[in-house]
Amino acid sequence: MRRALLGVALAVLALAIVAPPYVNGYVLNLLYITVLYVGLAYGWNIISGYAGYFSFGQITFFGIGAYVTGLCVVDLHWYWMLAALAGGVFACLLSFPLGYVMLRLRGPFFAMGMFGLAQTSRVVIAAIPATGGGSGLSLPPGLDLSAIYYWTLAICIGAILLTLAIDRSAFGLRLQALREDEGVARTLGVDVTRAKISAFALSALIPGLLGGGYLAFLTYIEPDAAFSPRLDLQSVVMAILGGVGTVWGPLVGGVLMTQISEALWARFPQAYLMIFGGLLVALLILLPRGIVPALARRWRA
Amino acid sequence: MLIAQLAVNGILLGGVLGLSALGFNIIFGVMRVVNLAHGDFVVLSAMLCAFAFAQWNVNPLLLLPVTATIGFVLGAMVHRFLLRRLPREIASGEASSLTLTFGLSFFLAGGGLALFGGSYRSIPYLTGAYYLGSLSIPQARLLAFVAALVLATLLGVFLRVTAIGRAIRATSQNFEGALACGVDTARVQTIAFALGTAVATTAGTLMSFLYSLNPQMGVLFTISAFAVVVVGGLGSYAGALLGAIVLGLAQSFTSYFAGAALAEAAPYVLFIFVALLLPSGLLGRRAT
Repeated sequence: MRRALLGVALAVLALAIVAPPYVNGYVLNLLYITVLYVGLAYGWNIISGYAGYFSFGQITFFGIGAYVTGLCVVDLHWYWMLAALAGGVFACLLSFPLGYVMLRLRGPFFAMGMFGLAQTSRVVIAAIPATGGGSGLSLPPGLDLSAIYYWTLAICIGAILLTLAIDRSAFGLRLQALREDEGVARTLGVDVTRAKISAFALSALIPGLLGGGYLAFLTYIEPDAAFSPRLDLQSVVMAILGGVGTVWGPLVGGVLMTQISEALWARFPQAYLMIFGGLLVALLILLPRGIVPALARRWRA
Repeated sequence: MLIAQLAVNGILLGGVLGLSALGFNIIFGVMRVVNLAHGDFVVLSAMLCAFAFAQWNVNPLLLLPVTATIGFVLGAMVHRFLLRRLPREIASGEASSLTLTFGLSFFLAGGGLALFGGSYRSIPYLTGAYYLGSLSIPQARLLAFVAALVLATLLGVFLRVTAIGRAIRATSQNFEGALACGVDTARVQTIAFALGTAVATTAGTLMSFLYSLNPQMGVLFTISAFAVVVVGGLGSYAGALLGAIVLGLAQSFTSYFAGAALAEAAPYVLFIFVALLLPSGLLGRRAT
C-alpha cells in the first residue's frame, strides 16, 4: 500500500515537473492553483493534523508573506522570488511570538482566535497607508507564470518532504502525543510548548512562502484577497477530504478538491460557497477519516 | 457629554448582542459545541425581515414569532440530522463538531447570497430619537434593547420554571449527573440546539432595524457572541449580558475614535484578549 501510494505520488510529481512547457496557459493556471492549494493544505496539516490544534487562520501568514513580498518588490526593487523568500522568513519569525501567545488557547478558542487574528490583520493592513490600504499593492506586470509555478511546486514538494520527515521522527511522535492528550504528554516529559510552537512555525513558513508567489501570480494584492477566509476554508476541506494528520492526505485531497472547486467556481459562482460548505458538512459525516486512511483500512482488511 | 452619548449607544447595542449571545451560550452549555454558524442564523433572519419589509412593508416586530419558529425548526434539524450523526470514536471529536459548524456557516452564508444577493439591506424603521437634555436616544435602539431584555427575561424564566428548561440547565451543569437522573439528554440536546438557534434568529430580527447587513456578515455576529460569552464566562447567563454591554461599549467607542473600518476588528481583538487573560470570564465558572 505504502509502496503503491509512493509510486503514484512520484509519478504525479514527475508529471508536475515536466508538464509546463507542453501545456497551454489555461492548464498551467490550473496546475498552479492545484499546487498552491496542496501546499496550503500541507501547511495546515502540521499544526492542525499532527498537533491537533485546529486553526481557522493560517491564512494570516499567507497574507503577511504576500504583503512583505509586495513591499520588498515595490519599495526596495527586489527580484520577486527573493522577496517571496523574505516574506516566508518574516511570516515564520512572526509566528514565534504569535504562537507563544495564541497556543495558550485551546480547541475552539484557538480555532476562532486564529480566525480573529486573520481578520484583525486584514483590517489593520487595510488601515496602513504604506501597504496601499484598502486599494492594495500592484507589481509591475509581465512575470513569467512558469517561474511562479516552479516556485510554488518547489515549496509544495518541500512541504511533502517535511511532512514525511515529521511523520517518521520523534518530533512527530511528540506532536501526536500532545494531540491525543496534552496533559499526559507533558507528564511524560514532552516539552509541549516547544513542540507546538515549532509545529506552528512550520505551519506559518509554508503559507508565508506561498503568499509571495500568489502575489506574483495575481500581480496585485488587496487585504480581502490576501486574508481570504475562502482560501482557509478550502485548505481545511482538502486536508480533511484526504485525511487529517496523514502524509499523503493533503496531496490526494488537494489535487481532487481543486479540480472540483475550479469546475464549481467556473459554473456556479453564486452557489459556490454554499456547495463548498455543504460538501464539508457531508464529508465530515460520510467520510470523517478522509480518503487515505479509508483506503489504507480497506487495503489491510 | 460625548462620552455619555457613546456610552448610551454602546449599552443599547449591548442588549441585542447579549440576546444573541444567550442562544450561543445555551448550545455551548448543553453540548459543549461552539456553533460557528450562529451568526449566519442571526444575519439570515435579519435579511429575511429586511426583504419582507421591502416587498410587503411588514413590521419586523410582527415577524418575531415567524423567525423564532423557523430558527427552532432549522436548529432541531441541524442537530438531529447533522451533529448527531458525527462519528464519536474519532480522536478529533471536538474538532469535528467545530469543523461541521464552520462548513455550515459557509453553507448558510452562500445560501443567503444566492437568495438575497450580496447588497446591504436595512429597515428604515423608527428612525427618530428621544432627547434627554442633549443626550439623544435613538428610538430603534431603545426598542431593540427593551425587546431584547424582555425576551432574555422570558428565556430565563423558561429555563428556571419549566421541566424542559430545568432539564437543559441540569444537562449543562453535569451531563453524566443528568443522564443518571433519567434526563433524556439526546432529546435535551436537540431542544437546546433548536432553542439556541431560535434565540439567534430572534436577535437577528431585532438587528434588522439596527444594522445595515449583507449575507456574508454572519461571522461578525458569531465572533461577537463568542466574545460576549467569553467575557461573561462560559455558562453564566448574567455574565453574558454584562459581556454584551462591554462589547457594545467597545464597538461604540472604537468606531468613534478609530473609525468604522478599525472598529470591525474590535470583537476579534476583544475575543483574543479576554480568552487569553480571563479564561474564566468576569463572572463565570472556569472553562474546561
